[in-house]
Amino acid sequence: MNLGEMLLSAWTAIRSNKLRSFLTMLGILIGVSAIITIVALGQGGQAAVIATIESPRLQNTIQILPKETLEPGLPQPDQILSFSDQDFQLARQFSGVEDVYYTLYGQATVASDGRVVNAELDAGPQYLNEIAHFTVVQGRMFTDADVLAHRRVVLLSPSLAEKLFTGAPRVGQTVQIGGQPLQVIGIAAPAQFNLLGSFLGTDYVYMPATTCRDLFPWWSISEMDVEVKPGIDKVDLGNRIVTALNIRVHDSNAFEESTRFYAGLEQTIGQVTRILTLVIGSIAGIALVVGGVGVMNIMLVSVTERTQEIGIRVSLGATQRVILLQFLIESVLITLIGGVLGVLLGVMGSLVLRAVTGLPTTVSGWAIAVSLVFSTFIGLVCGIYPANKAARLNPIDALRYE
Amino acid sequence: MIELSGVTKRYRSGEEWLTVLDDIHLTVAAGEFVSIMGPSGSGKSTLMHILGCLDVPTSGSYRLFGRPIERLSAQELARVRNQEIGFVFQNFHLLPRMTAQKNVELPMMYAGVPRRERHRRALELLGQVGLADRAHHLPNELSGGQKQRVAIARALANRPALLLADEPTGALDSATGQEIIDLFLSLNADGMTVVLITHDPDVARRARRIVRIQDGRLVTGAGEEGRP
Ligand SMILES: Nc1ncnc2c1ncn2[C@@H]1O[C@H](COP(=O)(O)OP(=O)(O)O)[C@@H](O)[C@H]1O
Ligand SMILES: [Mg+2]
Repeated sequence: MNLGEMLLSAWTAIRSNKLRSFLTMLGILIGVSAIITIVALGQGGQAAVIATIESPRLQNTIQILPKETLEPGLPQPDQILSFSDQDFQLARQFSGVEDVYYTLYGQATVASDGRVVNAELDAGPQYLNEIAHFTVVQGRMFTDADVLAHRRVVLLSPSLAEKLFTGAPRVGQTVQIGGQPLQVIGIAAPAQFNLLGSFLGTDYVYMPATTCRDLFPWWSISEMDVEVKPGIDKVDLGNRIVTALNIRVHDSNAFEESTRFYAGLEQTIGQVTRILTLVIGSIAGIALVVGGVGVMNIMLVSVTERTQEIGIRVSLGATQRVILLQFLIESVLITLIGGVLGVLLGVMGSLVLRAVTGLPTTVSGWAIAVSLVFSTFIGLVCGIYPANKAARLNPIDALRYE
Repeated sequence: MIELSGVTKRYRSGEEWLTVLDDIHLTVAAGEFVSIMGPSGSGKSTLMHILGCLDVPTSGSYRLFGRPIERLSAQELARVRNQEIGFVFQNFHLLPRMTAQKNVELPMMYAGVPRRERHRRALELLGQVGLADRAHHLPNELSGGQKQRVAIARALANRPALLLADEPTGALDSATGQEIIDLFLSLNADGMTVVLITHDPDVARRARRIVRIQDGRLVTGAGEEGRP
C-alpha cells in the first residue's frame, strides 16, 4: 500500500465524519490563525513606526542636533540649545546641499470667535506635508513665498476646523494663535495612521516655520535638517558640516549628526516589537499545544470506535505498520488541514486589521511556513500514541468487539 | 494443508484457567470441504482464529502448507492472511463507509496490486458472486445475502488456497443460507479448500466431511457423516 493510497484513505476517513474532523482541527486552526495575525500585526506595527521616522523625504536628509539632545544627562550651562541664523547660512554654503530647513513643533491654543482649542502646532518648509505626513484636502498648502514673507497663514486639521467653526466655508476664516490673527488657507488631514498622532490627538495646525518663529520666538530650533542632492554621500557631508559648525562657529563640540541616534532608535523599536511578538506568539503556541491534546483525545476515541475496523483490516492482511501509518497519516492530515485553514483565516484576519487600523500588516512567508511545520509536527506527536495503540490491538479482541 | 497436533487454548479468568480448545488433532488436505460443527461456546471461532493465523495456541503445533506457524514473524503472518487465506464472518464484517467494490479491493490494496488491476478484478469477482450491478453500493444498501456475497468476493480477491468461514449463514434466512453454501460448494469444485464452521446440522451435512467439536474437544469417529 503506497503513500498516495494511504493519504486518499485517510482523506476518506476525515471526510466521512466532517463535523467531528472539523471540531478536532479547530484548536489547531485557532492557534495558527492567531499566530499568523499576531506576527503580521507585530511586523506591520514595526514597519509603521520605522516609516514615521524615516519618510522618503528624510532618506536623503541629514539631521543635525545640538549634542546635548543626543546624550542623556543635564545640559551644560554653556551648551548650545538652539540653532542660529549664522548656523543655517554656513550649512547652505556646502556644495551638495539641496536645502537647509528646520521644523518647529509644540502646543498652541487656537481661538476663533470665543472658541478656544488646544492643538499640536507643526511648522516647517513648504514641503512640510511630506515630513509631517498630511494631505491638503481643501484650500492650498503654503508656498515658499509664504515661508519667505513670514505670511500669517495656517492649515487646520478637519477635526480642529470642526471645533472652531460651525459652518462652511472654513477656508478664508481667521483664527488667533499667540494673540495674532492668521488666515486659514487650507484644511489638511494627517495621514490615516500616525503612531504619534494616535497618542497626541488629531487637532493639528500647520504653518510656515518663519511665521511660527515670529509668534513664538522663545521656541528653540533644536534640529537642523540638511537635504542633500541625489548621489551625495550623506554621512560624509553631514560630518563635514558638523565639523565646520563646531569649529568655525561655536568653537566646541556642540553639534552632532543624528544618523547614529536614529539607527539606534530603530533597533530598539525592532527589539521591543520582536519581544512583544514573541510573548504573544508563545501564548498562541500554547493554544496550539492545547489543540494538539484535543487531536490526541479524539484520535484515541476514534481508535476505540474503530476497533472492529482494525480487526477486519488485520484479517485481510494489513500489517502493524500499515495500521500505524493509517492512523498517523489521518492525525497529521487533520492538523495540517487545520493549519492551512488557520493560515487562510490568519491572512484574512490581518487584512481586516489592516483595513480597520491602517497598520501595514504584513503576513510573512516565514510565519506561514513555521505554522504549517508546527501543525504537522503536532499531528505527528499527538497521533503517534493512538496510532501505536491501534497497531497493537489484538485482532481477535478487535473482531469480537461489538 | 492444515495440520493441527495437540493444539490447546486456555484463557485465564481470575484464579481459574478456562480451557477453550483441548488437545485438538486435525488434518485437512488440499481440496477438501470440511464442516466443523458444534454448539455455541464449544470453541469453534477460537479454532478458526487459530487456523486463520489471527491467534496462537497456548500449546501444541500448527503447520500450514507445511510451515510451523509459531515460527513466522508478524510481518509473515500478515502476508499469510493476505495471500493464502480468505475469511468469511457471520456478521459479514464489511467496512461500512466503503462501497462493495472498495471492500473487495482492500486485500489487493494491502498486497500492492496496482489500481487498475484492482478495479478490474473487484468487478470481475462481484460479477462471479452475482453482484455486478451493486459494485458502487454501500454495505447498508445491501441485503444480508448480498453483503455475504461481497464478503466472499473479498475473501477470494488474492486467490487464496484456503477459505475459512465462521457461521457464514448464521445471520441469513435458510433459503439465502443455502445459496451461500452453494457458492462455497462450487468454489470447492474448482479446487478451493473450504473450512466451514457452523452450529446448524443442515448446513454441516452438505460438506463432504464433518468434524464435531464439543467443549473444546473434537468428537472422534464423526468423519463419515457428510454427503457421499
Ligand atoms: N478472550 C477470551 N477470554 C476468555 N474467554 C474467551 C475468550 N474468547 C473466547 N472465550 C470463551 O471461549 C469459549 C469458546 O468461544 P468461541 O470460540 O467463540 O465459541 P463458538 O464460536 O463455538 O461459539 C466461550 O466460552 C468463550 O466465552
Ligand atoms: Mg463463534
